[in-house]
Amino acid sequence: MEDRELETMLNDVTSEKSNRREFLKRAAACGISFSSFGVVGLILPKEMEAKAELVPYDWDKHRWVYLVDVEKCIGCGACARACRTENSVPEGMYRTWIERYEIPAEGETAVDSPGGGEQGFGPGLQGREIPKAFFVPKLCNHCAETPCTQVCPVGASYSTNDGAVLVDQERCIGCGYCVQACPYGSRFINPETHTADKCTWCYHRVSKGLKPACVEICPVGARIFGDRKNPNDPVNEILATQKVHLLQPELLTKPQCYYRGLDMEVR
Amino acid sequence: MDPNSPLKHAKHVFRAGFLFVVGVLTLVVLRYVLQPDTWGEFGPYRGESVREYRALPVQYGGVDGCAECHDDHVEMHRAGLHQPVSCELCHGPVTQHIADGEHIAEMPIRRSSATCLRCHERLTARPESFPQIVRAEHIEEMEGEPGPASCFECHDPHSPI
Repeated sequence: MEDRELETMLNDVTSEKSNRREFLKRAAACGISFSSFGVVGLILPKEMEAKAELVPYDWDKHRWVYLVDVEKCIGCGACARACRTENSVPEGMYRTWIERYEIPAEGETAVDSPGGGEQGFGPGLQGREIPKAFFVPKLCNHCAETPCTQVCPVGASYSTNDGAVLVDQERCIGCGYCVQACPYGSRFINPETHTADKCTWCYHRVSKGLKPACVEICPVGARIFGDRKNPNDPVNEILATQKVHLLQPELLTKPQCYYRGLDMEVR
Repeated sequence: MDPNSPLKHAKHVFRAGFLFVVGVLTLVVLRYVLQPDTWGEFGPYRGESVREYRALPVQYGGVDGCAECHDDHVEMHRAGLHQPVSCELCHGPVTQHIADGEHIAEMPIRRSSATCLRCHERLTARPESFPQIVRAEHIEEMEGEPGPASCFECHDPHSPI
């Protein structure tokens, strides 16, 4: 009885050994294959021919930036409405929105954004002295060191040469990693397409020489869009001569949306 | 095979070599099947996606297009305090009105005080310098009639005041 048990045990051990050998063989093969991947990538640069002529707009001649003048915003919500129409953003989702900050003399700061501020704002805090209050339009910061594209497992999120951060709607699998990775809450999963969605700086307009819809529609000039590579663009003078700030600069994401007159309460 | 032959262990090398070739071929095939055509055109993403974004239709056209037919309104509008306010802010995007140069639908005319008050209702968070009113107080002060379109009794939205 004991002998037989011993025999089976030995058999188990040997078969385990042979399995291990098999496994090691396969692992080595895989290792070699993967290390050769880089070489294969170089040997077969499929469709790498210059197709630039298909893109008449030269994106290397532009570097777009966005500037929000907090001191001018009146919280009318025209930008959010225009964004929805221009980009067919589904109801309840926002590529841009407006936040209201009310900082009372005593007590906690109140922040609200009813319906993204799309239909304007109601009365706000009542019966208290509010020495400081303002609106802050928010949108994707189109970070130069963007955390959202880094986490995309399928390469659906990318930065264009002129600075816009976009999502490939065909390639996105809707996993939502980028939604979590964005520290500004600028991304959402579109309930109609089930892909990640975000502000594109109206790339279809900008690349045709137009302003983004929110900038076009803003009645008080609180939203400014400009080109860093065009020395005559007024945005360069504002950035060079005025005091501007970034949202959460400590995260080192290098946002390309600047805020003029930003309060420290805003995150 | 002669046990003293120098090639007696060569089969191990051949097996490894065979596995290597199979591995490379598998990757080549997978790359061909799974990788989108325009991948890597501009960077590690599908280049076609950029063109897809660029091809999206534009909705908001700007004031210049409006002036082609409505020059009288645009002229008055440009001379007034509402000059920085885009026509399309109150009336909606031009593409809902004109398509391929043809008139397709009337623009909405929002004769409602709610449209005005989205900008001009007094709110603590609005900049002090921006013209704002408390509606009830303003109507009382101006001895107007409270109603859904009371603003228009005195103000022309194209050129207010």
